Amino acid sequence: MERAALLERLTGRRAPIVWRTATVREIVPETAQANTLVLDVPGWPGHLAGQHVDLRLTAEDGYQAERSYSIASPPESPGLALTVVVFDDGEVSPYLVEELRVGDQFEVRGPVGGYFTWRVEDGGPLLLIAGGSGLVPLMAMLRHHAAQASTVPVSMLVSARSLDDVLYRDELAGLGGRDGVAVSYTLTREQPPGWTGFERRVDGEMLTAVGPNAGEHPHVFVCGPTAFVESVADRLVGLGHPPGAIRAERFGPTGE
Amino acid sequence: MSEEALWLDGNAIAGLLAEAFGAELTNTARGCQSCGAVNRLGAHRVYRSAGAVVRCPVCGDLALRITKLPDRHVVVLAGTWTLEVPQA
Amino acid sequence: MSPISRGFHGRRRRDIDPARIPPGQYVVDDFPVLSAGPTPRTPLEQWTFTIGGEVDAPKSWPWDELLALPAETITVDIHCVTKWSKLDTGWTGVSVDTLLESVDTESQYVTAWCDGGYTTNLPLADLTGGRAWVAYRFDGAPLHPEHGGPARLLVPHLYFWKSAKWVRGLTLTSADEPGFWEAAGYHNRGDPWKEQRYWND
Repeated sequence: MERAALLERLTGRRAPIVWRTATVREIVPETAQANTLVLDVPGWPGHLAGQHVDLRLTAEDGYQAERSYSIASPPESPGLALTVVVFDDGEVSPYLVEELRVGDQFEVRGPVGGYFTWRVEDGGPLLLIAGGSGLVPLMAMLRHHAAQASTVPVSMLVSARSLDDVLYRDELAGLGGRDGVAVSYTLTREQPPGWTGFERRVDGEMLTAVGPNAGEHPHVFVCGPTAFVESVADRLVGLGHPPGAIRAERFGPTGE
Repeated sequence: MSEEALWLDGNAIAGLLAEAFGAELTNTARGCQSCGAVNRLGAHRVYRSAGAVVRCPVCGDLALRITKLPDRHVVVLAGTWTLEVPQA
Repeated sequence: MSPISRGFHGRRRRDIDPARIPPGQYVVDDFPVLSAGPTPRTPLEQWTFTIGGEVDAPKSWPWDELLALPAETITVDIHCVTKWSKLDTGWTGVSVDTLLESVDTESQYVTAWCDGGYTTNLPLADLTGGRAWVAYRFDGAPLHPEHGGPARLLVPHLYFWKSAKWVRGLTLTSADEPGFWEAAGYHNRGDPWKEQRYWND
């Protein structure tokens, strides 16, 4: 990251929020339905974990489509990585996952979304609850936590349909082994033989089992499809977490 | 489409607002003119219509309307906004 | 100049006669749901449609009376200012001409108002001459709440933000009074063939 851009971010001076050209440097398959796109974005001012970009595609006749994607890479990484999950009815995600090649270009605007961010200096404990592709911004937070060798206690709960749908599986296993970091999973549709994790939708009992209780005043981040976030947020409030301590990012009905 | 699918959080228009105001605004606090609740923009509800509409998460009253024209943004605000815009 | 994203086409229909598509629009097959707020749910027994404002005497119809009025079934193209167009959509409703027969007015402008607080303004002339309806059926079925049911204004020759969802009445006014979107940058009339999207267009 350019020194000038870093300084600008740290001193809070304004970095222009403009559309920048992104060139695909690398495509990393994550699951059968998801790829991480590693991008070169000249002039990228840096970002905070949890932020997203608006992404814009332009067809040859000028037609444009725009969607938002959470940044998967932590602030410490050079470059910018987005993880995109395909939604069959989508207009943009199938292109980004099935058609896109190294060297292709589109535009990104950002980083934006200061409300849904976490920095190590914000403290904890942290409770991160992810539904499906909602794991992306929370993974940026977990990667940032690791990059800074933070000792803030972290509990992460990942909800997915099956183990094959869990993004960053191997990396999560590694990060989950660190002191003070606990990663739990609930697989709601299909479980592998011998599965000992949860097998149902997130409920109050599960949240109590995996996370800090309200009395520990955790910073809570919930991300995923709208219905998931609504349900989890309701249960968290029911367990005594103050609404002000819960930051939510809803991905819309399908998550695209 | 279910009702809950009609809106997203304030984060969903973070880019559009940043384009209009030149600064990240999702942490901005707004006091509602109807119910008095104070919430950050990121906690408000965004509806997508001809332009974008932001509503109070407590009472649903109008907080902001924004339209992007070819050469400008038009923003109509309601309630009490405490904007912090870093200097360029 | 935005870089071209190689191989990206989007989901538009590209087999349409261009003469049917206003400038800057593209054709879709689905029916996007756009809304300025939560879906209102007024029970039909409480629902009324009212023409008021600068008229000799306001006139109101409860739901069953509206349904008893002569209705038309029409097929029209609709054009949203967010650039999607949907062709050959089927609606059933009461012509606004029929409703206006019940009032006398010298006013030239109208504000349509709706459950949920949405308003839109337009010249009265755009609501007459068989060009506007209060529509309560879409594609052969009762109009779904997410698309404006029980009834919405339908003015297909103007951008679709004028076809106010959950309409409850028309207020005749002597001056053009900007409604919800017209006060926030959108055009007072909104003719898609003249690409009247915004102020000063």
